[in-house]
Amino acid sequence: MMSLIILLAVVVAAGAVLSVQAAINGRLGETVGVLRSSLLTFAVGAVVTGLLILFFEPAHSVGLLDVPKWQLSGALFGVVYMIVMVGAVPRVGTAVATVAVIVGQLGMGMLIDNFGWLGNPAIELSGSRILAMVCLALALVFMYRSSVRSVD
Amino acid sequence: MLPFIAQRHQPIIRAIVNLWKLVMQTLDEVAVEAPVARSWLRLLLLPLVILAGMGLSVEAGLLGPLGVQVGHLWATLSIFGVGSAILFLLLLFAGPQKGPALNTLPRWQLIGGFLGPIYVVVLTLATPHIGIAMTMIAILSGQVGKSVLIDHFGWFGAVRKKVNAERWLALGLIVAALVLIARG
Repeated sequence: MMSLIILLAVVVAAGAVLSVQAAINGRLGETVGVLRSSLLTFAVGAVVTGLLILFFEPAHSVGLLDVPKWQLSGALFGVVYMIVMVGAVPRVGTAVATVAVIVGQLGMGMLIDNFGWLGNPAIELSGSRILAMVCLALALVFMYRSSVRSVD
Repeated sequence: MLPFIAQRHQPIIRAIVNLWKLVMQTLDEVAVEAPVARSWLRLLLLPLVILAGMGLSVEAGLLGPLGVQVGHLWATLSIFGVGSAILFLLLLFAGPQKGPALNTLPRWQLIGGFLGPIYVVVLTLATPHIGIAMTMIAILSGQVGKSVLIDHFGWFGAVRKKVNAERWLALGLIVAALVLIARG
């Protein structure tokens, strides 16, 4: 229980970090273009991770080249997401695009959890999990309404 | 067009070339404010955006088990390594880019790359324990909570704004969602 709370706190903090990163990259993307800003982010990320691996990662008996190749396809989804957003956001608007992404994200997340797809442990959709979703949906509605009003 | 390719394959090649041009045009247009699209285009685009969001969960779903097998940092490297390679190729074939050279930008704009790995490592750590949907909710909580708190306290040099009741309510609901996840 205690470790779960710490883990949750870490994930929430990672969400905050992600939005700081999005703000910095958004600014960067405006000036140098999305392709270059993304490449910069990914390349720096790869170098930093490589350094961390060299000095901190314990040895594993299974390496990246040993696992089935489909397990390495994660980055493709990230890049496709980036291209779709670049094309769609100016046309459908930021708010609509954000909500559509979250709907897709949580819907797919629930499906993967519920059926244990892609080698994940199956977690049944419980009452409290559904309630958590509802709380988040309501929170997004309030955030959206308050941002609409501040524009007016 | 290309004499060494059989006649019947040429329409396919042409279609691929046109698709490529369309993708590149789309990437070029980002800086330009495009007018909000006609409704049928929006209807076509929305499922695409939802699919892209689903892709993010698939990415997280792939990362968790991979991290357990090969280590969290190696799983993270697979994301940034493959992503860098793909983006490098896209950039190479997209031709010259507009805007200033990267080495002329203020240094602080380049630190985004240090923050990305934090997020991905946390994803691989968390998904096996709390599942993908709940990880995503916690991430969203962090994003929303951060923006409310930054506005309220004026952190990071942001202009201090009065946070209205609706946004506090949103923050409260998010805390409730996190409590529900923690209780399982």
